[in-house]
Amino acid sequence: MPAPLARDAAAAAEPGPWPAEAGAGFRAAATTVVPSIVAYGLVWGGLARQAGLSLAEIVAMCLLVTAGTAQFVALPMLTAGAPAWLLVVTTYVVNLRHYLMAASLAPFFAGRGRGRLALLAHGVTDESYALALARFAQAPASEAYFAGCAAATYGAWYVGAVGGAALGSRIPDPYRYGLDFVFPAVFIAILARTVRHRWQWAVAGVAAVVALTVRSALGGTWHIALAGVGASLLGVWLAPTPVEAPPEPGAPRS
Amino acid sequence: MRPGLLLTFVAMGVATYLTRAPLLVILARRRLPGWLARYFAALPIALLTALALPLVFLGRDLAFTVRDPQLAGAVLVAVLARSTGNLLLSVAGGVGLVAGLRALLG
Repeated sequence: MPAPLARDAAAAAEPGPWPAEAGAGFRAAATTVVPSIVAYGLVWGGLARQAGLSLAEIVAMCLLVTAGTAQFVALPMLTAGAPAWLLVVTTYVVNLRHYLMAASLAPFFAGRGRGRLALLAHGVTDESYALALARFAQAPASEAYFAGCAAATYGAWYVGAVGGAALGSRIPDPYRYGLDFVFPAVFIAILARTVRHRWQWAVAGVAAVVALTVRSALGGTWHIALAGVGASLLGVWLAPTPVEAPPEPGAPRS
Repeated sequence: MRPGLLLTFVAMGVATYLTRAPLLVILARRRLPGWLARYFAALPIALLTALALPLVFLGRDLAFTVRDPQLAGAVLVAVLARSTGNLLLSVAGGVGLVAGLRALLG
């Protein structure tokens, strides 16, 4: 393997027909991260009710904000009567990590049309990102697969949030059932399949030290952006140059 | 529905989208110079590590610990993923172990 998650010979082939790819993405999410997302949606919905949001406001927030972590962070701020601009700035900061995920997904969608990319961008979440990386390391990159993952994760969040709003405070703690561990488990499984070369271990090691230090010192989500930006710099010196997929401007594939 | 709140949610959604769309749209339509391609080759490893390890090694109080069941779960996930390559099996095994250990240890 010349590079992590590199598009190898199989990946140079065309992806399958889009309904099959979308179904595969949906199933991959449904069998791994979806139960946990529903559980966290339930918790969020219950907390949102306690923060004084109506059911309509809860639905509106999910549909408009579209970012779970930011929605969790916003609740205590709403309760405390924080000004709107602070909510918006906090949302932006909490979501900074998406820049890095979008940048690292971009090569897989090389040459696709602007409109299509702008639509796909809505799917850039921690979970869809991880599932897409796992798939695209072994199979041709497909927008439909990514969209399938995104549909399942968004759907799970909506179902959980509305359910939690209906149930209010009678929500069990996901921690009790180990559901909090699904997210790190998915990330670790992908890392375990990917990290083989010494330079990859070096990147992971530096990222680990930075993330643990920053997270325990500052809390919040800064550790993801800082470790992502910082540790990847090692790759510039240590990584082999990936085999570039030829760009196909104006020839978007389905 | 409070209109001010609705407007705030719209602005929060725009802020979120501004973190998702620009680099995807711009970088997918450019041929990257070698150094940037190498940077992006390393990025998934750094990001996934940064996402995962604090959830394994930091307790709910954000203090470093190797005594939580998550560490045993993480080791099992890594071994299963490496040996079988099966994402679902690896995750299910790890979550089962963590839930079981928590139930046992209280």
